Amino acid sequence: MMQVPILKQGDFLIASVQAALTDADLIALRDDLADRAGRFRSRGVVVDVTALDVVDSFATRMLRGIAQTMKLRGADTVVVGIQPEVAFSMVQLGLTLEGAETALDLEEGLTLLAERIKRNAAGPG
Amino acid sequence: MSDLRPAAESSLIDRMNISQPDIERRLKYVAFAGDDAKRVASLADVILPAVDELTASFFDFLAPFDEAAGIVKNRATAETARRSKAEHLRAMVKGEYGVPYVEERLRLGMLYAKAGLDPRVFMGAFHHLMHEIGSRVMTRHRDAPSEGFERFSSLKKLGFFDIGLIVDVIIFERERTIRLQQDAIRELSTPVLQVRDRLLILPIIGVIDTQRARQLTEGLLRAIRTYRAKVAVLDITGVPIVDSKVANHLVQTVMAARLMGAVTIVTGLSAEVAQALVTLGADLGKLNTVGDLQGGLEEAERLLGYKVLRSQTDTPAPAERHDVAQRTK
Repeated sequence: MMQVPILKQGDFLIASVQAALTDADLIALRDDLADRAGRFRSRGVVVDVTALDVVDSFATRMLRGIAQTMKLRGADTVVVGIQPEVAFSMVQLGLTLEGAETALDLEEGLTLLAERIKRNAAGPG
Repeated sequence: MSDLRPAAESSLIDRMNISQPDIERRLKYVAFAGDDAKRVASLADVILPAVDELTASFFDFLAPFDEAAGIVKNRATAETARRSKAEHLRAMVKGEYGVPYVEERLRLGMLYAKAGLDPRVFMGAFHHLMHEIGSRVMTRHRDAPSEGFERFSSLKKLGFFDIGLIVDVIIFERERTIRLQQDAIRELSTPVLQVRDRLLILPIIGVIDTQRARQLTEGLLRAIRTYRAKVAVLDITGVPIVDSKVANHLVQTVMAARLMGAVTIVTGLSAEVAQALVTLGADLGKLNTVGDLQGGLEEAERLLGYKVLRSQTDTPAPAERHDVAQRTK
């Protein structure tokens, strides 16, 4: 069992995946994030998959699941750090990660979330 | 790509992709089976003593034709061709029709192809050769004509098998030029250029096939990481054929770039291409398209928050001049 460390950084949560995850690990990550997002009243979640060299259909589904769960908990999700080779094979498999935002790396992901929150705050409502 | 290598490095049989099963299938095409090999071998005593005569008659037949000049007029080529042909006749009655036999046939075929021998003339000469052999066989089997016919029939099957190979080489050699050109187009590298911070352009020129689409996508993804790009403009003005397959490749490239957090804008779809794609019903909903490269760059700059302003110079911009004119009025 591989626990994914979840760091709190201001309004955001950062889940940094360190090694290949089993399906059970992914489900645990989702539940963990859902729990903490509520506890810390987070506005955004960054899932960093830089270390992964394989992202299969289940992982894709779980990432989408995380994004949807977080949405319901009031937080935006950005998946960051998908490697070129991984992106290529995902597309070949028809996995497009629709529903989740993507960004190049952690820094980009955090910037994206910050911008979004600013925009939402500026917008009506 | 193997076609770019000099002939010496790989044998013709490999380059033409002819394997043992292929050879067996080719023999099956001409119904060469069972006792055929034995019957052909039994003609050895008819053919072997006449090899030189038959070879000469084959080349004499070719001589008057301009289309065969390359092989008859050049002494060195003619000499090699004659030797190979004689060798061919001897090999025919040996009863072994495997890879070495086919390799020899291909080599002779390549010689014909290099010398520019027209396949139509070759067919005529080959028929003439078979006729010469046939009449010799019939003379020998005057007492048992049906047996002679059977044997000659088997030889003819082998003859057609050889023609198949030789014509294939001639066509293969002719198509080589076309393939070389196609490779050249395909090998044209697809540069990924950074025009502004975090903005890339990919001008694509030439045919997009699966292989190239793959290279293109890999190049783009790598560049996105290297340049930390957020927007990429894919200009396909120079792509001659855009069908649903190409469109599909483009969609995949765009999706892969998105997984790395980059937005891709496709530009340069001409009116004809757009209409063709709509007619085909290609699903381009996932593509972010802009008419031309200029528009694509403008859109990319907008996404990145750039604003292009004309610098202040002595000559006022047209709008300003208009203003001045109005004010003085």
